[in-house]
Amino acid sequence: MRVPRIEFTDDRLANGLRLIVAEDHLAPVAAVNIWYAVGSKHEQPGRTGFAHLFEHVMFQGSAHVSKAEHIGLIQSVGGTMNGTTWLDRTNYFETVPSHRLELALWLEADRMGTLLEALNQENLDNQREVVKNEKRWSYDNRPYGSWNERLLGGVFPPEHPYHHPTIGSMADLDAATIDDLQAFFRTHYAPNNAVLSVVGDVDRAQVRRWVERYFGRIPANPALPVDLGDLSLPATLGRELRDVVMDSVPLPRIYWGFRAPVFGDARLDALDLAGQILAGGKGSRLDRRLVREERLAQDVAMFSLGLVGGASITAGWATARPGVDLVRLEAVFWEELSRLATDSPSADELERAKALTEADELGALQRVEERADRLSMYATLFDDPDLANRMLPRYLAVTAEQIRGVCAEVFREDNRLVLTYLPAEQTAGDAEVAA
Amino acid sequence: MSGTRPVVVAERPASGSPRPYAFPSFQRAWLDNGLGVLTVHLPGRPLVAASLVITSGAADEPDELAGTTVLMARALTEGTERYDAIQLVEAAERLGASLHAEAGWDSTSISADVPADRLPAMLKLIEEVLARPTFPATEVERLRDERLNDILQARADPRRRAEDAFVAAIYAPTSPYGRPVAGTAETVGRLDAATARAALGRRFDPARMTLIVGGDLTGIDVLELAAEWFGTWRADPDVAPARETDASPAASGPRVRVVHRPGSVQTEIRIGHPGVSRRIPDFHALSVMSTILGGLFNSRLNRKLREEKGYTYGASAGFDLRRAAGPFGARAAVNTEVTVPAVLDIVAELARIRSGVTDAELTEARDYLVGVFPLRFETAGAVVGALSGLVVQGLPDDELSRYRPAIQAVTMDDVLAAATEHVRPDDSRIVLVGDADEFMPALEAASLGSIEVEREAAPQPALKVADGDAA
Repeated sequence: MRVPRIEFTDDRLANGLRLIVAEDHLAPVAAVNIWYAVGSKHEQPGRTGFAHLFEHVMFQGSAHVSKAEHIGLIQSVGGTMNGTTWLDRTNYFETVPSHRLELALWLEADRMGTLLEALNQENLDNQREVVKNEKRWSYDNRPYGSWNERLLGGVFPPEHPYHHPTIGSMADLDAATIDDLQAFFRTHYAPNNAVLSVVGDVDRAQVRRWVERYFGRIPANPALPVDLGDLSLPATLGRELRDVVMDSVPLPRIYWGFRAPVFGDARLDALDLAGQILAGGKGSRLDRRLVREERLAQDVAMFSLGLVGGASITAGWATARPGVDLVRLEAVFWEELSRLATDSPSADELERAKALTEADELGALQRVEERADRLSMYATLFDDPDLANRMLPRYLAVTAEQIRGVCAEVFREDNRLVLTYLPAEQTAGDAEVAA
Repeated sequence: MSGTRPVVVAERPASGSPRPYAFPSFQRAWLDNGLGVLTVHLPGRPLVAASLVITSGAADEPDELAGTTVLMARALTEGTERYDAIQLVEAAERLGASLHAEAGWDSTSISADVPADRLPAMLKLIEEVLARPTFPATEVERLRDERLNDILQARADPRRRAEDAFVAAIYAPTSPYGRPVAGTAETVGRLDAATARAALGRRFDPARMTLIVGGDLTGIDVLELAAEWFGTWRADPDVAPARETDASPAASGPRVRVVHRPGSVQTEIRIGHPGVSRRIPDFHALSVMSTILGGLFNSRLNRKLREEKGYTYGASAGFDLRRAAGPFGARAAVNTEVTVPAVLDIVAELARIRSGVTDAELTEARDYLVGVFPLRFETAGAVVGALSGLVVQGLPDDELSRYRPAIQAVTMDDVLAAATEHVRPDDSRIVLVGDADEFMPALEAASLGSIEVEREAAPQPALKVADGDAA
């Protein structure tokens, strides 16, 4: 069965705001999604965590909306909303009953245009504490919670902006002043640095009129785009990196991290399918061998995080069953990655991976919220929203040899970071860890 | 900006006129053997959701074999008379689908999302899995060991540790709700292929089963397919009458239970008591009340603990509505130094909701629940999930279509009555998982009641893989 094509319009306001609209009248629902081309990679040394802190501040009110009222208004019309921060971007989105679309557009416009009129020290201090508790909750007070930070820190060198995670440094957050935040907003939160997608039970001409009315007078920032310099990296790490982490965990876990082709490169499509073949469910290679047959692992994972600036990261893990020889666990995991780098996957394996990818796409794209997010993403990162329609055909066109080829490029000993978590009661000397 | 017009107009847009919405209508029929069939035609939804639900779950299992229902469900797809586990996975994947078998407190189900033209093949696969599972001993043992390892992981995870300690604190030892749905280390250690087979047999009765199918069903006769694949099923000779679920509250034990986790940078807080069954007459008033207390982002708890105090990334409260009285709990993870002030704030909010809510709060919560209702049912899977809830909880067929008017009709008095009846701070237990050394003096000074502190060595791996286990 075919994934339905998304038909959309794509144009810009005079101030540079890019507007993408796709009509779908199946359900009385409308999705609004704004991507700002600012992520943690735009942060300066000593100012890490700003993009994410800013995402919180965006819910603290603007000229005509009081603190937390944005969320209150959306919820009181029966809508849902959130914002997320990533290395390459920050996004904000609302899904509302379609007859309240205009309200959602006005709320997004008010904070894009007038946020600084409401920003004050009290709200900054409050959200700084909330973010610190988010870090404690998501990273510090969680078993294996530091893996993300450690993998990024190893796969990307210190001078590269992907080296630090979005949550940033708490010391940097403590040092943040109102002036810093104002400067950050003035630089990045401008209409010519944003893509607004509206998908669902809407009239595109009406949407265009509303967007013109609410966003049309917000001034562009003539100093955009921000120049990040050359982010390119060597294709591989150049040597193996290893680390051992003592943590309060009952079971050891081994993480792998690899430098991989950038998002948008067709080789990353092939690597995504490799992830499916290696660890996508009970029939996958790693699950069959490590969990089912040899019973070395409690669970396994393998996936890629697509990034546009220099390299992506491919990562995986295996949680050891108690008493398992970690040298053996690591060797068998590596054997399976190497096997896919040596021999192409079988035709049947590839077909199943594609069938599941197609079903996942079909499932995800049923929701207007997901379609709006994809359109904003491809417009922001590649100036090509139609990639939302072309990504699935790209996956379906990947060949077995392309999968083998990219695995041979990525799964190399001189391109791997191996991170072993050990129960804190054990000392590194007691445990059997490969040197 | 100069000039008279602001950058963004101050005037808030008015509402357009809402498009009429009704929960999709569905048909209910029964096969001769008593198996129910619910179908809901959703034009334009080519991805069809199918779920075969048995209205019996982990609440209905022998206490000494707790976890057997969840393990049975996980083991269903480990092999059938015709296929081994890998062949089953591959057969489903060729249909572009994954089969999910799972059990909760009230039900056991096997489900898949599949393109409409592949529905017949998927129903055939579901039939194979449920009618002829082989429960291979070695695979059941592996799943059992994975659950035992998972219990170790849960003890090390502050969130899961807090949930487990909370239900253990609020329910009587005789209640299944006081333990994790997948069982404890003691009971799971007793499980094997024979207990899995028995767990299926005791509930394998077509009269307790319903097939629910939703999506664009143009040209598909679901009833005929159901009769073809499930019509010959008969009840297993070992079918057992359903057990009444004991949801009694704990009669003894301390008011405050602290699980000491040295070095924790946050304290996981749980405060509450056994709640109510889904089938209470004031369900809609309860929903509005609980939305105001701890459901919305601007709920009283989140506003106080996050947006005013900055104590937490998020605070919430809610009722877990099951066939019997599931837990009611308020939840937050706070930085260690504010543990006791946060507990006092939560307890104060549980008391304050019993004096009523404001007009604005009532309106916001009602409008949210009414407005978000259509958004919840954008996909076939969500519609099938809601219908599954009707079947499992034994609710009338018009429950979903009357939801919005019933919520809209909830009054201040209804909310007040629901709060005074169903939120009982004086009956609440308080569970804290965190670094007790940092907050014990303040906790003792707060006079919240008797305190018990659990101090233990950090968890140790308890299992060894036998040499013979490796292939």
